[in-house]
Amino acid sequence: MASFILRKAEPKDVSDILRLIKELAKFEEMEDQVILTEKDLLEDGFGDHPFYHCIVADVPKQHQSADSHVIIGFAMYYFTYDPWIGKLLYLEDFYVMKEFRGFGIGSEILKKLSQMAVRTRCSSMHFIVAEWNKPSIDFYKRRGASDLSLEEGWRLFKIDKQNLLKMTNEE
Amino acid sequence: MDFTIRAATLEDCKDISRMILELAEYEKVSDQVKITQRDLEQDGFSKNPFFHGIIAEVPEHHKSREGHTKVGYSLYFYTYSSWKGRAVYMEDLYVMPEFRGKDMGKALMSKVSQLGLAAGCTQLNFTVLDWNKSSLDFYLKQGCWDVTSDLGYHCMHCEGDALEHLAQGDL
Repeated sequence: MASFILRKAEPKDVSDILRLIKELAKFEEMEDQVILTEKDLLEDGFGDHPFYHCIVADVPKQHQSADSHVIIGFAMYYFTYDPWIGKLLYLEDFYVMKEFRGFGIGSEILKKLSQMAVRTRCSSMHFIVAEWNKPSIDFYKRRGASDLSLEEGWRLFKIDKQNLLKMTNEE
Repeated sequence: MDFTIRAATLEDCKDISRMILELAEYEKVSDQVKITQRDLEQDGFSKNPFFHGIIAEVPEHHKSREGHTKVGYSLYFYTYSSWKGRAVYMEDLYVMPEFRGKDMGKALMSKVSQLGLAAGCTQLNFTVLDWNKSSLDFYLKQGCWDVTSDLGYHCMHCEGDALEHLAQGDL
């Protein structure tokens, strides 16, 4: 399959973005964790102060997926900050539908993101990967990524809304 | 001891820069700090800031041994979870050693939580080094949980030459 284009996501893409988010979450066995809606994606990505940005991979209609989709891959990202080295690009989600893998679409998406990172003077691109996800870890390591958790001992922590409220009410 | 928690201003960048270096020294990596006071001013206080700051300040009569009244800080920014939507990321949390044990750290973190909740966030994320037992204990007491330990998610990054090669499409 030859042709695909990568483009900035538009409001009309939120339905496909959510579908792909859910597919990726299903692969990570976390599908029930996705509570985001199309309305959230619209408000949070296409308002005055977007919380995220998205690139989508679009194939021509004659190459559409088995279930008739033309948006067959995406990357969701945003900019973060490290007070030691400055701006970073954080890759939140990155996914290409199974039937479209092996055509270099993933590599092109990553290339486009990296170009954007360099252009906007980001020092680094950060992301998380599940330790059991060997194919993804290999994919990233082949491209020069390193594991900060293993190499430097960083552990990612989270505190959910219930405990956030508890913390603020204790003041 | 009396202290106030307030939003950081441009004038605070000198003290934030000082404390960033102190925190880096505590984490044994101060040679990695490339960001200057001027970078902080540009990146945090322009039209589209990459981060926000909170300061813990004590009255003049409680100033530090070296004469500082700004004795703690937190840097945070908004991120996005493809599963749950708006999130807040606490990048740095630091209280000068001579001012610890007075709940300033808790107050700073509480302020970040309040602001995050007000902005519609449903979670607060941050990273901790695995050898930093006192911080790990503090956070676990606040109801946080260790995503790296519990779900096996590792923090990864692609920086410097690796990022450049990726941008050029080299493999």
